[in-house]
Amino acid sequence: MNAILLAAEEGAENAFWLPHDINEVIWGSLAFLIVAALLWKFAKKPGADFFRNRREGIAAGLEAAEASRTGAEADLDSIRSALADSDAEAARILEDARQAADALTAEIAVRADRDIEMVRERAQIDLAATRGQVEADLSGELSRLAFGAAERVVDGTLDDANQQRLIDAYITNVGSQN
Amino acid sequence: MTDIRITAYAEALLAIAAAEGEVDRVQDELFQLGQAVQADEQLRTTISDSRLPASRRAQVIEDVLGEGAAPATVAIASMAVSLGRGADLPEISTEMARVSAASVGAVVAEARSAVPLTEDQVSRLAQALTAKLGREVTVRNTVDPTVMGGVVTQIGDEVIDGSIRTRLNQLREAF
Repeated sequence: MNAILLAAEEGAENAFWLPHDINEVIWGSLAFLIVAALLWKFAKKPGADFFRNRREGIAAGLEAAEASRTGAEADLDSIRSALADSDAEAARILEDARQAADALTAEIAVRADRDIEMVRERAQIDLAATRGQVEADLSGELSRLAFGAAERVVDGTLDDANQQRLIDAYITNVGSQN
Repeated sequence: MTDIRITAYAEALLAIAAAEGEVDRVQDELFQLGQAVQADEQLRTTISDSRLPASRRAQVIEDVLGEGAAPATVAIASMAVSLGRGADLPEISTEMARVSAASVGAVVAEARSAVPLTEDQVSRLAQALTAKLGREVTVRNTVDPTVMGGVVTQIGDEVIDGSIRTRLNQLREAF
């Protein structure tokens, strides 16, 4: 604004806003038109091509970005699906493990019951055998003691008279076997 | 000693006894001596000990037989011991009885009893066995305390057991 006022002051002679020389205005305008025409003729197409390429590059970048985004989303879905599958697999594995553990627990319980029964039966057999052996030992010992006592009693009663009676009875018995 | 030697000694000693006319007495006394040797291990060892002089072993035999024994018995036993057959006296005396009995068609029965049988009991047992077997039987009595009571008679492989010991054993097994 100050410049305009200064210029106005400097050209205050004709109080006109154009340069004093009208030819300068004409030639300047003409040069401008020539330059503009040259630009229009020679720079229009490259510029248009530049901007079209620019638009196409941007569009391709956007499409690539979109494709990347779509791919990323697909990958994300895949990962999510895989995660979901892995969760299901983990759940299935856990269920299988639980079932296997239950089956093993049941089998161990059955086996333990069977072992307990076998041990019990064996113990009963051993007990019966031991009882039988003890009874046999006792019986044998009683028999030994009883017959030892009987032998002593018999031996004590076998005086000479009884010896002679036994011998005579034997001879009579042999004679009666004819 | 083989059976052949035992039989040979038995026949020879029996012939000597017959020559002396004391077959039965010699047989009885040798049988008793044989039983004594069989029962007494120390006596058997002494009369079999070749390191002892034959005269010493013969003296032991004379001491065992005693003064009541027939001279033929003492001489025969002393001769057998001097020849180193002291340990075989039980078998020789048994074989003498068998050979003697066989010579008259009889068999020998060994009767074991806890107390000695009387002559009457030996005779009656011989008669009973003769009647039972249908052939002449000569009874030789051996005192065996393990019999306890009664008699066990063996004739060859046949045993007639009437001992108290066997009855007690049978009762023990049945119990």
